[in-house]
Amino acid sequence: MCDVADRRLSVRIQQRSPIPLDLDFTCDPGDVLAIFGASGSGKSTILRSIAGLYRPEHATIRADGETWSDTASKAFAPPHRRAVGMVFQEYALFPHLTALGNVMTALGHRPSTERRSRAEDLLRLVHLSDHQDRRPHQLSGGERQRVALARALAREPAVLLLDEPFAAVDRMVRRRLQDEIDELRRTLDIPLVLVTHDFDDVVRLATRLLILERGKAIASGALSDLTSRPDMPWLRDAVGLGSVFDARVVRRDPERGLLELTFGGGTLIASNRVLDAGTVVRVRIAARDVILATSEPDGLSLHNVLPGTVTALNADPAFDHIVVQIAVGEVLLLAEVTRDAIARLDLTSGKRLYALIKSVSIGVIPDFRSI
Amino acid sequence: MLRRIGVLLVATTVVIGTGAGVSAQRPPTVAAAANLNFALTEIANQFKADRGTSVEVVFGASGTLTRQIQDGAPFELFLAADEEFPNQLAKAGLTRDAGVVYAVGRLVIFAPNGSALTVDERLNGLARVIKSGKAGRFAIANPDVAPYGKAAESVLRKRGLWDAIRPQLVLGDTIAQAAQFATTGNAIGGLVAYSLVLGPGFAERGKYAVIPETDHQPLRQRMVLLKRAGATATQFYDYLQGTSAKAILRKHGYGVPQ
Amino acid sequence: MDWTALRVSLWLGAGTIAILLPFGIWFGRLLAIHQFRGKVFVEALVTVPLVLPPTVLGFYLLVMFGARSPLGQAFQSLVGQTLPFSFEGLLLASAIANIPFVVQPIQRGFEAIPSDVRDAAACCGLTPWQRFARIEVPLAWPGILTAAILTFAHTLGEFGVVLMVGGNLPGETRTLSVAIYDRMQAFDDRSAGVMAATLLVIAVATLMLTTTLSRRVGVRRG
Repeated sequence: MCDVADRRLSVRIQQRSPIPLDLDFTCDPGDVLAIFGASGSGKSTILRSIAGLYRPEHATIRADGETWSDTASKAFAPPHRRAVGMVFQEYALFPHLTALGNVMTALGHRPSTERRSRAEDLLRLVHLSDHQDRRPHQLSGGERQRVALARALAREPAVLLLDEPFAAVDRMVRRRLQDEIDELRRTLDIPLVLVTHDFDDVVRLATRLLILERGKAIASGALSDLTSRPDMPWLRDAVGLGSVFDARVVRRDPERGLLELTFGGGTLIASNRVLDAGTVVRVRIAARDVILATSEPDGLSLHNVLPGTVTALNADPAFDHIVVQIAVGEVLLLAEVTRDAIARLDLTSGKRLYALIKSVSIGVIPDFRSI
Repeated sequence: MLRRIGVLLVATTVVIGTGAGVSAQRPPTVAAAANLNFALTEIANQFKADRGTSVEVVFGASGTLTRQIQDGAPFELFLAADEEFPNQLAKAGLTRDAGVVYAVGRLVIFAPNGSALTVDERLNGLARVIKSGKAGRFAIANPDVAPYGKAAESVLRKRGLWDAIRPQLVLGDTIAQAAQFATTGNAIGGLVAYSLVLGPGFAERGKYAVIPETDHQPLRQRMVLLKRAGATATQFYDYLQGTSAKAILRKHGYGVPQ
Repeated sequence: MDWTALRVSLWLGAGTIAILLPFGIWFGRLLAIHQFRGKVFVEALVTVPLVLPPTVLGFYLLVMFGARSPLGQAFQSLVGQTLPFSFEGLLLASAIANIPFVVQPIQRGFEAIPSDVRDAAACCGLTPWQRFARIEVPLAWPGILTAAILTFAHTLGEFGVVLMVGGNLPGETRTLSVAIYDRMQAFDDRSAGVMAATLLVIAVATLMLTTTLSRRVGVRRG
């Protein structure tokens, strides 16, 4: 079995035109790297470069223990010689083949006797067995997406690439697909790179995040670290400011309608969800749902009063709000307050205060990781 | 279904290709002036009956055929409507020899049924129609490529009608085409070959009058064997100077040399 | 009905397709996929035979390859016959005249394939040749078939250039369209009529076929 370092994806791309790009990142097997940015920031180009569909001016791309691209030594493996699986934004299914035929196309590396059964297995994996003889135009958007996924997996890829995979499906279908991909990811244990402009995808799937602006990585790292940075006004504009971190279910209380969670900063009480004790979940709290108090309040409906310390303040000149970063145990929370509030509470770095959060404001996203 | 169409197309082509006969030794091709349409077809059929071999005849305007021979057309024998065109070829070294005059042609003025034109050898009828102002189209062969057309021009000039009729002229690329224009009611009439109006079905189509030989250069028609001529072509050349051929030519209104 | 002339016409059509289709597939695909400087000029050049009077093509072929030209004489001494007034000469003229009929439908056929479908094929591990044969050609097939049908029908209808370059030689260059002209000159309207009707039927059938084909493309795309 190869070393983790061997199976790691490492990408370094530099070019000036036609799209300026300058990045350097890695993704380990089992990680989901979300590349997040506005359209035109170059995200798809990065994915296409990893797949070998695009050749940047300067690139060094290593995966699967091999060098896929190295402009310095003029090494270049064309896409059909890279063990890469790619799910395209509009699925790019072969219109003249059935779902089964589409998946079988990617099974050229298997002996011909095995191809059909292997393709059927893959379609079963994505819950599409009963439609395997249909053509793409006879399938719904979500079903086509599954075929595209099965086809990408058929290649037994060393790297899985997803280009805005949920852009063309509706909310309901998207939820289900996100869960399925999360489920698959654990069994695959390969680097997975996801490109998206929808932060919801990031929240639900990513373990690492790379934020792209005009071809440059303006931030990269573990998800929870990045989402708690107060100095990203564009993040507010794009997705709504907030904190994202992991927590574990302690117990449920259906009669009182509550869910108790433990996290790196203590205990959180959220609204009831059907989750077993011990489940690892991801928690998302919007910055504007966090209220600050300099003294412990009394007689409020709130369940969550978390003691913490102010670690940073960031004023955005475009708005009249200030973003306050508060350390609550190991976790950093963000709160959005008015300038007046800062003055009234005399908030400065290092000040001890309480973060108040309503149970209903706590977004709980089940993570299948522990199952 | 798409595949079936493709296969069908290919199959049809192959079937017709092989079915319509494999071309072994193809008979020699003879180029002939268009005025010989009926006469030469009959002579060629007679030749086949008498000698058992055949020739293929291609009709056209003498000038056009001459041009084609110069450009490499694989004719083996050329029967022109005049002497100048064959002489041109002989001078260029493309013929075996200077050839012989095989026939002398005649011009007629023809008017289809229902035309305002009355025919007579002095073209008085034509003059009348022109003067009346009711003249419609009048057909002749193109003087540049067809000797019969050139002859027609001389006749019209001689009678002082050329300038007046010029705007009404419709030129056929060959004398046969001119005859077509003249007989199909698209024109009031035309100056066409005698041999053509003697052809089948013409008698009912209208009336004609033979133009006196003195009104134009004699239409002495010369034929030449081309350099590449083979045995069959040479046989045919000789046959054309024999008695059966001469009889047929006379029947079609040609004068024949003794 | 002049069956020999029909045979010559059909062989000319089939021969033109045989020569032009491989070229058309290569070139049409190239134009569909690649962008390059001067592409507009190349596309215009491909269209030239459409607007060129057939007599212009005939004229240049005669001047360049006729027995009076050095090229023609060299050819004649090698092969024994000039290119004009031979079936092969007709094939050449026909191939040139039909370039737009072959290239453009095929180009449209390949253009209709979304570029990410081609990319997906590469990411499925298909080599460039496999991509071409298993993905691109089946998808561009209606365009290719349209090109073949249009070329065939257009060849059957060629007259001016065939007469000038071919010379109406029976069994060699006398196509059906020329045979009609020939029969009319011989005052044989009946034969001419039969052959004219035949060509008319073929023309209509061609139009129906190509219309059906373009509808089928729409259905498959869904």
